[in-house]
Amino acid sequence: MGITDTKRLDRRTLLKITGAAGTTGLAAMSGCLGDPSDDDGTDELTITLSQFPDTVDPLDHITGDFFNVYDHIYEPLFDFEPGEGIFSRVVEDWEAQGDGTTELSLRDDVVFHNGDDLTAEDIAWTINRTVDPEMGVPSPIGTFGLGSIDGASAVDETTVSVEYSAAPGLAEFEFGNYARAMNMEWAIENYDAENEAISGADPEVFNGTGPYEVVDFTSGEEIVLERFDDYWGDEPPFERVTFNADGESSGRVNSLETGETDLTINILPEDVDTVRSADDVEIRQVTSFRNIFCPMKNTVEPFDSLEFRQAMNYAVDNQEIVDTILSGFGEPRGQPVAPGINGFNDEIEPYEQDIGMAEGLVDDSGYGGVEIELTAPQGRYLNDADVAETVADQIDQLENVSCEANIVDFGIVSDANQAGVDPDEFEIPFFMIGWGTITGDTDYGVQGFFTIPDNPNRTFDDEELSDAILESQQIEDPDERRAQLEEVNQLAHEKAPFLFLHTQESIYGVREDIQWEPREDETVYIWGMET
Amino acid sequence: MSMAKFLVRRLLQGIVVIWGVVTIMFGLRAVAPGDPANLMLAEGATQELVEQVRREEGLDEPVYVQYLDYVRELVTGDFGYSWQSNREVEAMVIERIPATIELTIAATIVALVIAIPLGVISATRRNEPADYGATMFSLLGISTPNFWLGLMLILVFGVWFGIPYPTFGLSWVSLASISVPFPSVGFYDFPTGRRPVGFGEAVRTLVRYGSVYDLLVWLKHIALPALTLGTYFTALITRLTRSGMVDELGKPYVTASQAKGLPSVLVRYKHVLRNTMIPVITVLGLQMGTLMGGAVITETVFNWPGLGLRLIDALGTRDWPLMQGIVVFIAIAFVTINIAVDAVYNYLDPRVSEQ
Amino acid sequence: MISDRIRSNLWQTFRKSLLPKLGLVLLASIVFMAVFAPVLATHNPTRTGYYDEQGAEYPPLGYEYTTSVADDGDIADVTVEPTTEHVLGTNNVGQDVYSRFLYGARVSLLVGLLGTALAVVIGVPIGLVAGYYGGRVDDGLMRIADTMLAFPALVLALALIGVFGESPIYVPDPIVAVGLVDGMPDRIPIPGTVTIVAGLVTWVWFARVARGEALSIRSEEYVKAARSFGTSDRAILLKHVLPNSLTPIIVLATIQVAVIILLEASLAYLGFSGTTLSWGYEIERGQDVLRTRPWVAMVPGIGIVLAVISVNLLGDWLRDALDPNIEGEGR
Repeated sequence: MGITDTKRLDRRTLLKITGAAGTTGLAAMSGCLGDPSDDDGTDELTITLSQFPDTVDPLDHITGDFFNVYDHIYEPLFDFEPGEGIFSRVVEDWEAQGDGTTELSLRDDVVFHNGDDLTAEDIAWTINRTVDPEMGVPSPIGTFGLGSIDGASAVDETTVSVEYSAAPGLAEFEFGNYARAMNMEWAIENYDAENEAISGADPEVFNGTGPYEVVDFTSGEEIVLERFDDYWGDEPPFERVTFNADGESSGRVNSLETGETDLTINILPEDVDTVRSADDVEIRQVTSFRNIFCPMKNTVEPFDSLEFRQAMNYAVDNQEIVDTILSGFGEPRGQPVAPGINGFNDEIEPYEQDIGMAEGLVDDSGYGGVEIELTAPQGRYLNDADVAETVADQIDQLENVSCEANIVDFGIVSDANQAGVDPDEFEIPFFMIGWGTITGDTDYGVQGFFTIPDNPNRTFDDEELSDAILESQQIEDPDERRAQLEEVNQLAHEKAPFLFLHTQESIYGVREDIQWEPREDETVYIWGMET
Repeated sequence: MSMAKFLVRRLLQGIVVIWGVVTIMFGLRAVAPGDPANLMLAEGATQELVEQVRREEGLDEPVYVQYLDYVRELVTGDFGYSWQSNREVEAMVIERIPATIELTIAATIVALVIAIPLGVISATRRNEPADYGATMFSLLGISTPNFWLGLMLILVFGVWFGIPYPTFGLSWVSLASISVPFPSVGFYDFPTGRRPVGFGEAVRTLVRYGSVYDLLVWLKHIALPALTLGTYFTALITRLTRSGMVDELGKPYVTASQAKGLPSVLVRYKHVLRNTMIPVITVLGLQMGTLMGGAVITETVFNWPGLGLRLIDALGTRDWPLMQGIVVFIAIAFVTINIAVDAVYNYLDPRVSEQ
Repeated sequence: MISDRIRSNLWQTFRKSLLPKLGLVLLASIVFMAVFAPVLATHNPTRTGYYDEQGAEYPPLGYEYTTSVADDGDIADVTVEPTTEHVLGTNNVGQDVYSRFLYGARVSLLVGLLGTALAVVIGVPIGLVAGYYGGRVDDGLMRIADTMLAFPALVLALALIGVFGESPIYVPDPIVAVGLVDGMPDRIPIPGTVTIVAGLVTWVWFARVARGEALSIRSEEYVKAARSFGTSDRAILLKHVLPNSLTPIIVLATIQVAVIILLEASLAYLGFSGTTLSWGYEIERGQDVLRTRPWVAMVPGIGIVLAVISVNLLGDWLRDALDPNIEGEGR
């Protein structure tokens, strides 16, 4: 009847148990902490996420929580520094060939956890799998992160050629972030055709080149990693790392407070105080790359009116929302992307609340007296439902618009976001969503929402904005391209395709003695820590 | 009607009920919004991939074909794969059952241990302060939503009294590796990295290593959830016991035996209680559905890793195969328990079974 | 239908015990609160943004707390004092807790009454027909009832909300409409789909009671006589069977109001109701801030407990006085 079965009492645990039997007291206990080779007990780390990555396929989801775990097992090919660009890692060197391809030169000393050498073919296969659904083993994340990549091929043992249809700079952002290496043979072997996924639940089915390998995996509960002895690079700071998850911020904070976990993510502002008043742990926060906003589909009334969309932006007091509901853990924003993103336009000021202006604009739009509904998720972003309720109420306070919040589960919001702009195909024109521009490039923050060709999932239908983005994709000179992206952001600000809200801060609770700075792209890298 | 015939009949009826549940689930899934292909894929999948998934999943077939396929798969025991985690639904359901059973049994024990003495005291001291107290308590018990009760218990014990254990996030997940040394718990201490385990495993630890550590951790974890889930039942059983006792105490055999000089305590507990318990047990059987519904919410409040929490997760991510698996399982459990209750009833009082 | 005997029974039971009196007083106060919410409320319950100058929620009178706010990369602790403007403080979005408490009573009672009415409308005819005709009809209808009992209310709620949306029913406010008060909402939304779900999961109990009554009455002499005079089945059901079933149905209905109030609260707590003006949703909101702002979850919970207790006390009174033989108290 046990929830956990006996086999989880692995050899090491058994040793620990029997080692402790018959003895009491601190001295005996310290002798059985952690690994036998390291007696100070600091060589273990537990990280509590908000969502458990219940899959063995590193390309199954595109959510931050998943990358937090899988990047340690299936390391990224490049090091990505938010706002700075990509740096060599598994790929030592890379060069655009000027013909729509870039050649990546790999290190020659990289091995998979199962002992196989990493080859160029593995990487080419991994990339192709995400961009080509016709390959035998499709990647569920689709072409999303690698939208401009056409494919890849192995030139020789350590050289991969990546083909793309956009400017090299954009392609670099994309493969710099999303390219991983899987072991081709292993993946094909483990592919379960009936289930259409790479599946399995044993630790052995994880097989990457990262600094950690999986030693224990309990579906829905925890995944335990240990240092990979044959890792090509620097030894990471902890011998053993456990990831688990708790969907409630208060639960994560409780784990931190009682010492059950050492680091936890996505703490709500109202729990900050608890962490601060607890011993030996502290809050660390950073302004993230995630913007929160409300798309307004301009193919239906009243959102087809520019004046009306601008009025919505003037109706809302973003500074107040940040100060109260987010307790200051955010910044009002007036464009699609956050500071630090390539192409962020620092001359754009957020819309400031101006009720008179908003009411005037609504009258000008001819939609005075209209009733609208704001659909928003709950539990997805920092106090999302509370933000939405406040936004709806502030719009409702305009004399000539009435607005109500409709709080739903995230799936419905996600559907609304995917439903495109054909008025027959969607029912929710106005909803709240968040977007993390994790590639660090404006293109990732605007392309999916605004471009028209080959993009049935867009939320806004405007030739001028779409053309401006398409143009930026073809500019090769980085400075010129940045200027064009700033122009795109300016245009988006003016055309108000969104009701712009804020950029949220990522709030972490961390054990004080762990030296680690949170990253803007919401990922947690153990190799970036020190004790 | 013989017992065997009765059971066969009830079994057939039960199968019809489960078929009904399966059909309703299919109907709901068919009309619910959200393209399944969209739900299965992550944000931002291409149209091409969506189309491909639709084809492969048979979503472009006519509805009746999908329905027949679906029923055929269920009959052969194939519950499909979770959209969210790609794991077999069957395994995902089975692994969560023990936690729910532990919780419901613990809650039932809490209820019986508190309620029966309370009901007896209340009935034998009618209109005395103890009776009023018990009545008010049971009234509060059946009127308090259990999720709120759970939160208030967390507030009182966890926040105000500052007991760090039985508070939020009481999952075995968040406690997966306890890095605080445990206080001296007698017997033998365990090293860190020991995860909390279920009851069965805790008993095994006791037998194998002679340590009660796991059992104590388990007890700490289950205390508040069991109290939360058990309160409604405590209240209900207190009421039933009281009214049953009051009825029984008024019957001639009680007055007669008292006249004969049998010690009153003996009378009270042996005969009266036994007669009182029959309706109590019947109602308990009938209320299994309520208990399961309560378990879903209690598990959510305390992050208890049972079937209810998994159902809520499945609802939140609209993981239909998983939702269907859990609902069908609940229906089977419900029908089975009802047949068992009916059979016991039939055995005790054959007149009731057939109307 | 209400005979002298019933009336005297009701009075006797009422007089004897304190509990029915308590129930009636409680229920009357809650109904009063619900009806006169616009007059009693100090603020519009949906208006957001009542924070103190530090941007923090007000605590109830007699309570103060400290909280952390971010300020240009630093985090500072601030102490928050109560204000007489908001006697029970404000919630996570700066709404007045007291005013929402009052309006929450409206939503709870309306859903309880409408849901029960729906359950009666569905359940009683089905039960009467099943019990009166017996045989195949009875079997079929009772299997449907069993199926409903075996089906978790949550799943049904989610799926129906998925299909129909939250479908809020806007209930206009007569007090605001005639202009007695200003600045209060002129209508409030109650969760339509949840009300329907409540009816759909509770009708079974009514069907069972009605069936039992019909079953026992159909062999009575006067029903047989009526049938032999050629009275239609419909007329017999309406004239003879229904009136005789009324007592247990009324008692059951009272209990079910309490059951549905709890169901609505649970669904709103789990976030499946779609309407934010609800005690249950307010508790969900309060869960996030339980450590520092416990009043957000505490106040609406007390509301639910009081409402359900009062209805239950009323139900107990009716049951004791009328003594119908009913099963079914599921919630």
